[in-house]
Amino acid sequence: MIEFEGVRKQYRQRCGWRSRPLLAVDGVSLRAGDGAITALLGPNGAGKTTCLRMLCGLTLPDAGRVLVDGIDAAGDAIAARRRVGLLSDARGLYPRMTARENIVYFGALHGMSREAAEVRCEALARPLELGPLLDRRTEGFSQGERMKTALARALVHDPGNVVLDEPTNGLDVQSTRALRELLRNLRAQECSDGDGPTPRRICILFCSHLMDEVERLCDHVVLIARGRVLAGGTVGQIRDAARAGTLEEAYLRLTGAAGAAE
Amino acid sequence: MRRWIAIAAKEVRDALRDRRTLAVMMLTSVLAGPLVLLALSNMLASLEARAERRVVVVDGIEHAPSLRNHFERNTYSVQPAPARWQQLLRESRLGDPVLVVGADFSQKLRDGEFITLQLVSHSANRQAESAVPRVRRLVSSFGAERGNLQLALRGVSPDSLSVLDVDEIDLASARARAARLFGIVPLFVLMAMLYGALGMAIDTTAGERERGSLEPLLGTPVPRSAIVLGKWIAAGGVSLLIAAASVAGFVPTQALLGESMQAMFRFGLREAMLFMLILAPLGLAFSALLLAVAAGARSVREAQAACAVLMLLAGLLPLASVFSDSGESDADLRWPVLAQQVLMSRVLRGDTLQGTDFALPLLACTAIAGLALARVARVYLRPAG
Repeated sequence: MIEFEGVRKQYRQRCGWRSRPLLAVDGVSLRAGDGAITALLGPNGAGKTTCLRMLCGLTLPDAGRVLVDGIDAAGDAIAARRRVGLLSDARGLYPRMTARENIVYFGALHGMSREAAEVRCEALARPLELGPLLDRRTEGFSQGERMKTALARALVHDPGNVVLDEPTNGLDVQSTRALRELLRNLRAQECSDGDGPTPRRICILFCSHLMDEVERLCDHVVLIARGRVLAGGTVGQIRDAARAGTLEEAYLRLTGAAGAAE
Repeated sequence: MRRWIAIAAKEVRDALRDRRTLAVMMLTSVLAGPLVLLALSNMLASLEARAERRVVVVDGIEHAPSLRNHFERNTYSVQPAPARWQQLLRESRLGDPVLVVGADFSQKLRDGEFITLQLVSHSANRQAESAVPRVRRLVSSFGAERGNLQLALRGVSPDSLSVLDVDEIDLASARARAARLFGIVPLFVLMAMLYGALGMAIDTTAGERERGSLEPLLGTPVPRSAIVLGKWIAAGGVSLLIAAASVAGFVPTQALLGESMQAMFRFGLREAMLFMLILAPLGLAFSALLLAVAAGARSVREAQAACAVLMLLAGLLPLASVFSDSGESDADLRWPVLAQQVLMSRVLRGDTLQGTDFALPLLACTAIAGLALARVARVYLRPAG
């Protein structure tokens, strides 16, 4: 489970020789539960990526807390990162290494033995249709192949929480559909990194600005703009709150209202 | 497997996969030094051969039969200057200076007048320049012989003209003298090692940031210290590997050198081991320094620009001893790069190195590595953005 409690983050933005404060995240509170896909939906520059960076301890909040399975991501970053599988926007594969080496390397960084990482890599290759790609260097991969490899790398340690930053960016229709199917399957799966003896369901936090994707895939939507949470709930609840027929209309109405209020 | 080992192993494997860069680096570092050494050897052999050539090129020798007689008594053969000898000297196609004898030489000699001869050379013609002292000595000995004869005819001892003489004794051994010539060898090894660290340091830090793989790496539960240690060991290890290849290249080169060069340049396993002992702390410290500079850069280009300044400084430091009037001193050991250059030159001279000679450079390198690695860790800990 992932929770944000009144999180605030301000950067210094450079303007020529001077810099001015930029409030990227302003008191965000949200909760992404286990066994569900939660969307963080917002326009470019809304503060989504900053939220994900704080979740992985890559940047620290100025105020508030980010909890991963109850662990403060700023206080015990290593324990929090152990429970998160991150698919970053840039994908960030090593081009001179094969897909298998990329995946197994991240397994080793998560403390897995080489054998266990190899087994897990093979297991992930099947649903992701990575088999023919596994022993090819990633330098010539297409966007879809890169995304699948990066996703396998994020899942190699069987994390309880999966964080995806704009996963459908640059993907064609077939790859987008395949990813959607994969995430639905992942939501139904159980993982073993819970504290208790019984396995738990996976929490998926999905960061996007694409209405269609969110509407088709997500159980819970958090609408964010200018660093603030504007609305939260199911797609239907958000539509009702904005008195709109579609999510897109609700999004435009709510984000437009936020802009007018500024 | 410890995680820093996993990181170091991945970085080294990644670097070894970049075969084109690696091949160019290995070829230049392994071959450049020995090739320069061979070129030096050839140049020396040719100078030696010319020094041994007992030939004097004279323009107008027909006007000075006594001078020809003197040269021939000293087992020199006299060659008349070729036509257009000035142009040939200018174009370095004539390798001997030309002694110009005037038509009135014999007349002046008979009348006891002072004679001035011209010895023509060209400062850009190295072969001719190197033979100038030899011909000058030969001509001076003719003048001294004639002067002594005239004094003897007048019943004056030639020794009354000179009350003292100076014998020059050079305390430097032949090897020490040769070390001045081979001063270029440590410089080659040093620069090969430092350039070896450069590519690796930039690729593992700024390259990782530019590829977008730094964020996923920092998102893993690996302590920052392990990430920094892994990258440092990889960059330092590759730079030492290149240094070892460069040093090893000089050992077989000896067999290809001329005989006199072989006697002067002794570079065996002992010298190679001492070189590596001297270079290892610098290789590791400089790798840490390059990592620190490149880790803070936002792009590979920015890192290259910043590291170029460091490389320039590292390249200039060894030249301090060249520009210094006071020559080499123990104070040089305080400066990294210069210290290693000094110590390697001492090894080539055959000097015995004390443990204390290593202490100061080791201390300086440890301090640099410590500060630089702390800076890399701070960059990776600093909330980015």
